Amino acid sequence: MIYLDHHAASPLEEGVREACGRALREAWANPSSTHRLGQSARRLLEEARAQVAEACGVAPLDLIWTSGGTEACNWGVEGLCAGPPARLVTSTIEHPAVEESVQALARRGWRIERLKVEAGRPPGASAIEALGLGPADRLICQWVNHEVGTILPVEDYAAAAKRSGAQVFVDASQALGKLDFSGLVSQVDAFALAAPKIGGPAGAGALWLRRGVELPPRFVGGGQERGRRAGSPDVLACVGFGAAARRVGERLAQRERLGAMQRDFEAALEARGGLINGREAARVPTVSNVSFPGQRAALLVHALDIEGLCVSSGPACSSALAQPSPTVVAMYPGHEERAQAALRFSWGASTEWAELEAALACLDRVLARFRRPLASPPAQPSFSREARSDHD
Amino acid sequence: MTEAQPKPKRRILVAMSGGVDSAVAAARLLEGGDEVIGLTLHLWDASGAQQVGRCCSAEDREDARRVCDHLGIAHYVVDERSSFRRQVVDPFVEAYRKGETPSPCVHCNRSLKLGGLAELARQFGAEKVATGHYARLRRDAQGLMRLHRGVDASKDQSYFLFGLPQTVLECLEFPLGEWNKEQVRAEAQRYALPNADKKDSQELCFVPDGDVQGFVQRESGPSPQGEVVDLQGQVLARHQGIAAFTVGQRRGLGFASGEARYVLRILPDRQQVVVGGAEDVVCLEAEGEGMQWREGFAPRAPFEAEVQIRYRHRAAPARIVPLAPGSVRVEFQEAQRALTPGQALVVYAGDEVLGGGFIRAKQSRSADCA
Repeated sequence: MIYLDHHAASPLEEGVREACGRALREAWANPSSTHRLGQSARRLLEEARAQVAEACGVAPLDLIWTSGGTEACNWGVEGLCAGPPARLVTSTIEHPAVEESVQALARRGWRIERLKVEAGRPPGASAIEALGLGPADRLICQWVNHEVGTILPVEDYAAAAKRSGAQVFVDASQALGKLDFSGLVSQVDAFALAAPKIGGPAGAGALWLRRGVELPPRFVGGGQERGRRAGSPDVLACVGFGAAARRVGERLAQRERLGAMQRDFEAALEARGGLINGREAARVPTVSNVSFPGQRAALLVHALDIEGLCVSSGPACSSALAQPSPTVVAMYPGHEERAQAALRFSWGASTEWAELEAALACLDRVLARFRRPLASPPAQPSFSREARSDHD
Repeated sequence: MTEAQPKPKRRILVAMSGGVDSAVAAARLLEGGDEVIGLTLHLWDASGAQQVGRCCSAEDREDARRVCDHLGIAHYVVDERSSFRRQVVDPFVEAYRKGETPSPCVHCNRSLKLGGLAELARQFGAEKVATGHYARLRRDAQGLMRLHRGVDASKDQSYFLFGLPQTVLECLEFPLGEWNKEQVRAEAQRYALPNADKKDSQELCFVPDGDVQGFVQRESGPSPQGEVVDLQGQVLARHQGIAAFTVGQRRGLGFASGEARYVLRILPDRQQVVVGGAEDVVCLEAEGEGMQWREGFAPRAPFEAEVQIRYRHRAAPARIVPLAPGSVRVEFQEAQRALTPGQALVVYAGDEVLGGGFIRAKQSRSADCA
């Protein structure tokens, strides 16, 4: 089995599994309990918080555990926009966890301004300046696109927004382990993280809030997370997140090697007739999103799985339905077919070139079948004659 | 003594509806040593009160997934909603508005399900597609696959499967063709399938509550009202749309009568429903259009066979007279009740399906139906 779906969930390495196992044995008690077993759970939880904080270069105190990236995004976006509606600036290629929160805010009266990422190219910070934002307005933007890997210049955007006093939320879920956070932290008011994107377990995420920024509490009840999010965090998942965060430096150190792999892989995909989505601008080196014209990516994903290759089409959450990739739709308006065909290969620091080569061999076997239709289309009565094109 | 050779593993795609039949088909193939892959077509999203339905609902996809989990095989869902709407639902609604009683399962099986699945099997590198249909395939002396009725006469589904081209038949396998429903139920218990006690679906998968009239109106707006008339043209009642009627229907005609009255014809131009007595609803002749014959069979001269005119109909002896390409006249030995335009007309030689088409609406001539 070849696993090239790291943008959905990066595999748990041995150190992460060990840390989770230790938490299972030593940190099962309620971390809010005052007895020694509770203290033991809390200690591991706080160690993990410090590990994640260090990976981002922030203070542990400002990092709040969440159930994952989706909660961190929902909460960050809706929390920063809890006041009276004003203008909200966001991109056209956000993850659904942000996009659907934005749409909920639009229904509450927020006016949405879109930063268009046409032909894969995000606009420069002058697009923010041109909007003439005020302190009541908000900038909500992802840093790294989950589907094609586009890097949005959020530091520049945030600096421009800051100058006008607007608060800034960044969805950094796909950025940790792929980009350097040192320039981001001073510019933004909140950012969201997700453990599975760096090889931590599903069930853990975090929201970072600039000191002094207060959001309405996510949950109420026991006053955990300094009263900001009641309920005990998932200690096992958080400990795994912390262990994965310790390896962020190693991940970053692989960027050059991964970039070379990405170039070679994409040359091979293009040689097979693929169109690389988002190749027009800077991307992270861990993903290739490719459209083979005329193919349905959802079917290719199944066929590749049967051949032993795990990849995806669109965000994992919606992949049961053959919806065209929202990112590719936004990047290439009017090219619905390209979006239907968008196939995502994503990898991480542990991936070797041999795996990408094996993936290409799987792809060749599958594409050969998909490109050779049944010898003759079955004769149809008038009823469905026009409809055969659907199984092209 | 020779040792039994393990059968080479074939890769088989099993179309899983979430029902018991396809689940048992998958379990049998798996037990026989095949590599089995479960596949469910997502065809329709039921809405509102219809969500209790079967076969197209999220619950059925979940049942299919549970069966595959139980068997330890992979399961994929393929979204064919737009094809289903275009190829099955829209023509279904259109047919009702034209006063016909369409056969959506025939169109779905042929163009979308089995044709599409055969294509998917090839794309997925599978040798065959298996389904839970009660029908049999046999290879003849010339090497052609021929379609036969399933052994369980009460469950036989060959009626829905006529007209499949050889390329598709070659891809198909019906593991339940030799079985009856009781055996299948017993097997489901033996395999401890999670859906072993699930009831069979009776209604169309996209109209689970059986309210076709309501469905047609939701899909295409209010139907024109019209009249229910007798053969003399006398108005007996008013109706809320012709989609509520089908030829041969006896109940819900909207008026009281001493003797049984049946729908004889539906006249879409006038939004009229013509009713008459039991003696008027029988017919000796039918015309079929869109006829498709099995490979290697292209009748030019009249021949004797049996003809089935709806799913729950016992095929009746008849003389088939080929007319223009794709059309036939069927002359029954005995008059048949309720020849319903839009329903499939399937020609059998014994258990074998020779071909089929659809009953053509006759113009308002009552003379040939007496």
